[in-house]
Amino acid sequence: MAVRLEIALKPHLFDAQGSELCRMIHDYFGWRVGSARVIQVLTLDAGLNEEEVKAVRTEIFTNPVTQVSSTEPLARAQDFDWAVWVGFRPGVRDTAGSVALEAIADYLRRPLDPKAAAYTSKLFLLRDAPLSRHQVDVVARELLANDIIQQWRIYAPQDWDPREGIGIILPKVELAHTPTVQTLAVGSDQELQKLSDQRNLALNPRDIPVIRAYFLREDVREERRRVGLDLPTDVELEAISQARSDHCNHNTFRGKFYYRDLDSGDASVVDSLFKTCIEAPTLEIQRRKDWVVSVLWDNAGVARFDDDHHYVITAETHNSPSNMEAYGGALTGIVGVYRDPMGTGKGSRLIAGFYGYCVGPRDYAGPLRPHLHPRRLLDGVVEGVRDGGNKHGVPTVFGNLLYHPSYLGKCLVFVGAIGLMPQTVKGEPTEQKKPNPGDLIIMAGGRVGKDGIHGVTASSESYSEQTPAGHVQIGDPYTQKKMHDFLLEARDEGLITFITDNGGGGLSSSIGESAQMAGGAFVELDKVPLKYEGLDVWEIWVSESQERMTVAVRPENLDRFMELARLHEVECTVIGRYEDSGKLHLTYQGRTCAYLDLSFFREDFPQWEFEAQWRSPRSRGLTEPVLSEPEDWGRLLCDLLASPNLCSREWIQRQYDHEVQGTSAVKFLVGRDRDVPNDAAVIRPVLTSNRGLAVTQALHPTYAQIDTYHMVEASIDECVRRLLSVGGMLDEIGGVDNFCWPNIQYDPERNPDGRYKAAQLVRANWALRDMCLAYQIPLLSGKDSMYVDGHLPGAYGERHKVSGLPTLQFTATTVVPDVTRCLTMDVKMPGDLVYVLGITRNELGASEYYQHLGHVGLNIPRAHSEDFLRLYRALERAVAQGLCASCRAVGRGGLAVHGAMAAIAGRLGMTWDLSRVPAEGSLSHVALLFSESLGRFLVTVPPQREAAFQELMEGLPAARIGRVTEAPIFQIRGTDGKELVQVPVESLRKAWSGTWSQEPV
Amino acid sequence: MKDVRALVLTGFGLNCDWETAHILHLAGALPERVHLNAIIGGTKRLADYHLFVIGGGFSWADEHGAGVILAMRLKHRLRDEILSFVDRGGLVLGICNGFQVLVNTGLLPGFEPGTWDRQAALVANDCGTFRDQWVHVVFNDQSPCVFTRGLHTMDLPVRHGEGKFFAEADVIQKLEANNQVVLRYATADGRPAQGAFPANPNGSINDIAGICDPTGRILGLMPHPEAFNHWTNHPDWTLEKERRQRTGEPLPEQGAGVLFFRNAVDHVRTRG
Repeated sequence: MAVRLEIALKPHLFDAQGSELCRMIHDYFGWRVGSARVIQVLTLDAGLNEEEVKAVRTEIFTNPVTQVSSTEPLARAQDFDWAVWVGFRPGVRDTAGSVALEAIADYLRRPLDPKAAAYTSKLFLLRDAPLSRHQVDVVARELLANDIIQQWRIYAPQDWDPREGIGIILPKVELAHTPTVQTLAVGSDQELQKLSDQRNLALNPRDIPVIRAYFLREDVREERRRVGLDLPTDVELEAISQARSDHCNHNTFRGKFYYRDLDSGDASVVDSLFKTCIEAPTLEIQRRKDWVVSVLWDNAGVARFDDDHHYVITAETHNSPSNMEAYGGALTGIVGVYRDPMGTGKGSRLIAGFYGYCVGPRDYAGPLRPHLHPRRLLDGVVEGVRDGGNKHGVPTVFGNLLYHPSYLGKCLVFVGAIGLMPQTVKGEPTEQKKPNPGDLIIMAGGRVGKDGIHGVTASSESYSEQTPAGHVQIGDPYTQKKMHDFLLEARDEGLITFITDNGGGGLSSSIGESAQMAGGAFVELDKVPLKYEGLDVWEIWVSESQERMTVAVRPENLDRFMELARLHEVECTVIGRYEDSGKLHLTYQGRTCAYLDLSFFREDFPQWEFEAQWRSPRSRGLTEPVLSEPEDWGRLLCDLLASPNLCSREWIQRQYDHEVQGTSAVKFLVGRDRDVPNDAAVIRPVLTSNRGLAVTQALHPTYAQIDTYHMVEASIDECVRRLLSVGGMLDEIGGVDNFCWPNIQYDPERNPDGRYKAAQLVRANWALRDMCLAYQIPLLSGKDSMYVDGHLPGAYGERHKVSGLPTLQFTATTVVPDVTRCLTMDVKMPGDLVYVLGITRNELGASEYYQHLGHVGLNIPRAHSEDFLRLYRALERAVAQGLCASCRAVGRGGLAVHGAMAAIAGRLGMTWDLSRVPAEGSLSHVALLFSESLGRFLVTVPPQREAAFQELMEGLPAARIGRVTEAPIFQIRGTDGKELVQVPVESLRKAWSGTWSQEPV
Repeated sequence: MKDVRALVLTGFGLNCDWETAHILHLAGALPERVHLNAIIGGTKRLADYHLFVIGGGFSWADEHGAGVILAMRLKHRLRDEILSFVDRGGLVLGICNGFQVLVNTGLLPGFEPGTWDRQAALVANDCGTFRDQWVHVVFNDQSPCVFTRGLHTMDLPVRHGEGKFFAEADVIQKLEANNQVVLRYATADGRPAQGAFPANPNGSINDIAGICDPTGRILGLMPHPEAFNHWTNHPDWTLEKERRQRTGEPLPEQGAGVLFFRNAVDHVRTRG
């Protein structure tokens, strides 16, 4: 007998959640709702008797100080104008439900029935809510629920049954299905192609003959017959599809590009962007730098931190899932990327997370209808990363946000993670791992369900209320945090010989890849613990259910490993063993269901091929806009500061625990009001040491409108300068590249500009190679996500393809020898001297200034890395000697914007003289103030340290342009000596922080 | 000198254990990170320690109320151990999630020791979301709390979604009368915030940031002293560095948060 508990705040207490809902209804729709109350619903289907129900209700689920509860409906019809119930669909991860079961079993001191279930949901009561049923439905759909993972019901007072309330709703997964293994006929290429289409295998047409040829080989057939197989099974084809997918294989980056410059007629063939632009430079740099420990093969890169520790870093994207279900997608993304450092080497402890979001305009009001409006999408993504990081106990230290209409088609969600490992464990290098034949294969963490199995729900004929919401997942940081702590203890006891995470591709990917290292694997799929019955065997193999790791343990260590697992209450199951058979051998209930040669996965599958055609920006018709100099400089500066991509994002970072672990040395947000983004964040990961690790990120997709080569130059150069600005070392910078690109495969109808997008990708990679070599930056890790396109409904029933701008997010880290040398960007003391380092050029192309006025332009910022490096070395010395009081890498918005931000942060004024700014040629005021030339810094120096500073800057482009003033006014004189800008810093701050009122400046 | 042994609780989503152990070490204690199940299973005994710290984190993911499930487990599995630990003069410190646990067990306010009566709560912040920010706190010099002897004001970070201290009027009155309110959210000049956001980050009644039991040996607080273990943890340290360098003052090393733990160590050494 199922029972429903309802729990609510006592009526006289303030309901913060309800109040937040009213605020959001007003923000989103402009509708006024007087008040809202939230009732928590817990539906138990756990075989409890009446006495037990009462006991758990009062002892566990009701706080006598603040809450009331009942098994009867708490709401009466007179309590609301509208009531909305929101609950999960079947099969969606309900952490609160599983925690409830844990607590009940613990309280009753008895195990519950294995089929016992608990479901949480919410009932929202809206009062003084003069809304129509349709409006309430909009609130439910847009704010309270996402129909992919949740269901809802709306009640008016006259609908309300005071005795039954919402009734008993059990979103139970029931699959009336007996697991099978099917064999599939592949008599011809066409037949296999058809199978691929039917089953969503997404096999590349070029791979199909290779796959068929394998199964037709006489020696293969002979061996298969011996284990009772003949035709390929569904398990095998799914495994092959998984192994060959672009996601796992990076087929695009390993493909062949036929590149032509249509202006010059020059043509070249690029054989593998990965090999030529990522692997080759990184290996060359690794030979020269002994701090580069392990790159290009594991789940994350490993670099030396100090004499005893390495740090581990990677970053990923989770775009498509976040685009469908923002909260769940982003949460799953951050929790997923955290498993990478956990599964690197023998495992590392997580010490930091970071993020980057690219979304459509927050106030988009055009005709296109994306699945989620950018505002809701961003709110959901922000919350998902918040809960994932906070509940994992990992500080979220840095992040990016960019609004651009091109991301209406698909948003980008970058998530990154840093771990720390001791250099050795039990005398063995921690960064190394290898499963050996005879090692047991253990699946640790969560159970397996239909999660992440694409297209299953849609193609299932028996779609019903009990069908699991398959392809969208909700990460569970709680389960994973327990596993994280457990695995580190197991590592330190020397129990782990190999570990990797189960992410994309699930067991298929983690065991498939590690079997290659061991020389074979044997897995009994019926041993894998399931969330619910009825999964097909192939589904168990490829399911992407979260919070799971695959671990190799020697048989003699199994007992101790399991003992630790029990202590930490982490589910671990032996599901097979590594072998030296050369085979991937899977069985289900004793019968072989897959038997594949490991060598088959290493076969030469045909390379993907792309046509790439480039035209220079000039020949594409780009020009500089024809503009005269503005007159109202003060208002222009305020409006730029208020623009979406420059204004304050404190509301995001404030929700992220960025100080857990006690390691924070330079926070992302700095200044007297602690709200201005600093160039980089610095943590002190080893608490007994003053050594620091700095991390920063940059992305500049709007530059892609002119040339992706220079876009990448700008991002990497900016990262280098940002790390120097906080006190990082130039010689120990490591990079992580994350490419997000629209589809580059040319198709006359569906992708007519595919060749151009392919050329953009090639040029971006060339810049990556050139910059990494110039600055000697090894790529510690990187990923690509190749299909950033969406098809959005328009006003008349037509669909528009919207491709995201080509985007590279670059993440960079470096070591800080002693955090007490670190700097922040806020100006510190009146009387300090303001220096500009680096040359300003007429480079306003795709700048914030042009964008603000509706132009793109042509003159894109370019890197002059050799010249830049001389300056960077000098600045590094100045910072090491403690000569600077503040330092800012000048980026988007140019000198004026970054000067304003340094003043806002320091709550002090500045006076500048533009005639002193180091410039190439004679520049207009607009260029001096808003050009986005690379290689520049804004530095303040105390008068008593000026002589030493100048000595270091001898012969370099560095000039004193003014000073910091007590009077909080930003004053800029033009090259003609006339006053251009005179704005109170308070007005700048109001504009920038969004509390701008249209008062005259 | 006497060894002061401190147990830092771990497991089930608690997550401030490393830095809490570190700051205890700085304060001269011998810290040990111990999993809850090791105490329940009997391989570790509370009786072997002087100080029991339940630190920050998201035990059981904060589901069904922050600290609720952990409090229940402590109450049902370790009731006698905890009572005798407290009776014999042991110190208990609950930080953030640990404070939420202590009010849910009833160890705080603890008007009548041993009754495990829940009389106070930490509920959702008035602002409606999780916040990480630094706050000024001012200490009550009349409080019997052993952790805060000699402290007047301090800057510390708060990082929570459910930190609003709430109790009915009679309970608040009693807390105030007994001087069990140990620290309050304050403005920069050290005066209570009087409910004003963001100086009071969550809407706590009477700006209450932490309370102790009548003996002063059990303390719960929302701000994180262990997160101010090094002077570079403070958001303004780069300005402070400039100020000190120009006046020739030496730079500090530790953060002020260590003072809580040093007080605890001193208490155990002199009285324990």
